[in-house]
Amino acid sequence: MNDALRKILQNPRVWRGQGQSQQQRGLTSGYPKLDRHLPGGGWPLQALTEILLEHYGTGELQLLMPALARLSRKQLSPGVSAGAGWITWINPPFDPYPPALLQWGVNLSRVLMVRPKSNREALWAAEQALSSGNCAAVLLWSDALDDAASRRLQLAAEAGSSWAIAFRSSRARAQSSAAALRIELLAGSTGTDIGILKSRGGRPAIVRDYAG
Amino acid sequence: MVVRRRKPAALQEVTATPDELVQQRLSLPLPEQSPPALSTIPARRLWLCIHFPALPLEALNGDSPSAAHAVFSGEQGVRQVLLASKAAQAAGIAPRMPVNAALALQPELQLLERSPRKEQALIRQLAAWAEQFTSFVCIESACVLLLEIAGSLRLFGGLRELRQRITADLEHKGLTSSLAIAPTPLAATWLARSRRRVCIQALQNLTGALSPLSLQCLDWPESVTDSLKGMGISCIGDCLRLPRQGFAKRFGSARLLQLDRAMGRLPDPRSNFRTPQRFCAEFELSQEQSDGELILNACEQLLQEMSCFLLARQLVVQRVQFSFFSLQAPVTHLIVGSSEAGRAVCRWLELLKIRFERLTLAAPVISIRLRGGRPAALEAENRPLPFRKTDRGGQSISPAHLVEQLSARIGDEAVHAINLVAEHRPQYAWGRVGVKPGFHAMDMATPSQVPWNRGLAPLLFADLQKTNSLLLRRPLWMLPDLKKLPVVDGKPVYQGVLELLSGPERIETGWWDDNGVARDYYVAVNSLGVHLWIYKNRGEKNQWFLHGIFG
Repeated sequence: MNDALRKILQNPRVWRGQGQSQQQRGLTSGYPKLDRHLPGGGWPLQALTEILLEHYGTGELQLLMPALARLSRKQLSPGVSAGAGWITWINPPFDPYPPALLQWGVNLSRVLMVRPKSNREALWAAEQALSSGNCAAVLLWSDALDDAASRRLQLAAEAGSSWAIAFRSSRARAQSSAAALRIELLAGSTGTDIGILKSRGGRPAIVRDYAG
Repeated sequence: MVVRRRKPAALQEVTATPDELVQQRLSLPLPEQSPPALSTIPARRLWLCIHFPALPLEALNGDSPSAAHAVFSGEQGVRQVLLASKAAQAAGIAPRMPVNAALALQPELQLLERSPRKEQALIRQLAAWAEQFTSFVCIESACVLLLEIAGSLRLFGGLRELRQRITADLEHKGLTSSLAIAPTPLAATWLARSRRRVCIQALQNLTGALSPLSLQCLDWPESVTDSLKGMGISCIGDCLRLPRQGFAKRFGSARLLQLDRAMGRLPDPRSNFRTPQRFCAEFELSQEQSDGELILNACEQLLQEMSCFLLARQLVVQRVQFSFFSLQAPVTHLIVGSSEAGRAVCRWLELLKIRFERLTLAAPVISIRLRGGRPAALEAENRPLPFRKTDRGGQSISPAHLVEQLSARIGDEAVHAINLVAEHRPQYAWGRVGVKPGFHAMDMATPSQVPWNRGLAPLLFADLQKTNSLLLRRPLWMLPDLKKLPVVDGKPVYQGVLELLSGPERIETGWWDDNGVARDYYVAVNSLGVHLWIYKNRGEKNQWFLHGIFG
């Protein structure tokens, strides 16, 4: 690095996105290819992750399963934070199939299903679950997520130290969002590719065939 | 026994000791060695008596300061004023005045007929309320409560604090009352009836305190007090100065016994009042209300009462029922359930508020009833000492609390947990179950033990595990309803033509009930790369159904 460049970098008006070392360690996704591109070496916990997808079934659950399994098997210290264990599914489009969850190693006694009747209730439930500090992760399927709602979820996730995951349609790609991480699932030639659209402390990237 | 040795001066003219007298005259079944037995009375007792002089009026809500009310009773065909409100008293209406005379004095006087049923209900309610201060409450008479408070002093921070608290509560309830504290129940009652705010803790001070009380405080029949008055005896002190034998002969041994008990010379056992274990109370609004805020306030008062009630019994309830009565519409019931039994007012109120928001009341409410559900013994849980602040700052509620919040707003059936069922048919291999607070450790297979991703597993393992579905690859998404797939050129289509990847896996079981299956399952992939779990019934050609998506 030459002197001129160093001088510029020492100028307090220069802000460097990547150098923010206050980045928390993420939860490993179980897919080394993906982990390499995520700033904390994994999923950013205590924040909102948005997953955009065109169709259900393009590997969106598989992507999360290793991390959710790890969260669900985490030992909870008795008493103090006994509650931080729920993995709450809010408004899933189909029925999550328990034998398959078990195959992935998810502790079923920590799974909580919530099926609200409207989008409003879904958002309310997600916010409650996140901010209560009783959920390790909250998965939300909602079409009504807008900028304001995503900000609320992000704040609730921070307040409750909980991982929020929102599944949205690819059409929402152009909308702004307060999520700490936004990724898009794309059907690739060999498997599912992941496009990282926004990553706090990281940079956009494309991960080809993440499971391969 | 110290007290007993000090024979009261007034009674010394009698040669026998009080004990002997009692045995001779009253033929009380005192045991042979009664003095030592009595001297072993373990703890000192202290009785707090609450006398409600205006109870007949207050039970009928006739205690408003502005209007003149009077309660009358119609005994022996003569209607007499029993009790008059302050406004009525100011107009010159006094107890035992004939009703007609009272009406002549005050034509606007509102006359209420005495209702012993309502009085009893009120005094019972008050006894239930008093149980929060002591474990021993006794309904002494229609308008007198006795509380044994010697054991409660420490908890409530002393006599003065306890008395202040009781007085403040009574004032909040808007009841006229007088309190007295004495070491014997009868003395406390008499002192309270005399409307003197006295507090006597030592037995030897009783004589001095009781002596000046007038005979009315004793609540003896009029014939007795009249003849005592005729003898020139106007206060209790005069009674005590009379010879015991003569007194017992003239006025009956029961009166002498009462005097002895009041002075603490003889034990005076009481029976403890116990309300039913289930809580039920009503709140009558002064006028019809449709304002939610006001109705909730009333509900909060009811919950407060229930909380005191349950606290006294160390009980908790899991569900409560509110009933909203109105004049025009039938009653509306609202059942509020909680996943964790409790009695905290704030929690019940929070749950009620969530439900109440969605409730539409057909007509304004005139009265509310709260009925507690089946009570359960309080199971206190152990918590670690708060040495270390938890790192989870946001955590303020328990997991069970979260679940009940969600189910209160969204609906009970919309919040559930899932479990495995030992069943080979895929659609029956799982179930929805109610949420249980408390997690259990994972005792099932971990991913490394599951060999499905190494091709088809040896089926022998299936017998070891609960179901074969643990060993063969299963989709993460199941469709709630089967979907019949269209077929194009002999191939099933779902978002594009499907290619079969693996299969068939035949599942043929359930012949013993009506839902037997005989299916060949395949894993297929469409042009978008979505992996699907499809099947066709055995023997059928090109009849494809979509059952799951591999997600």
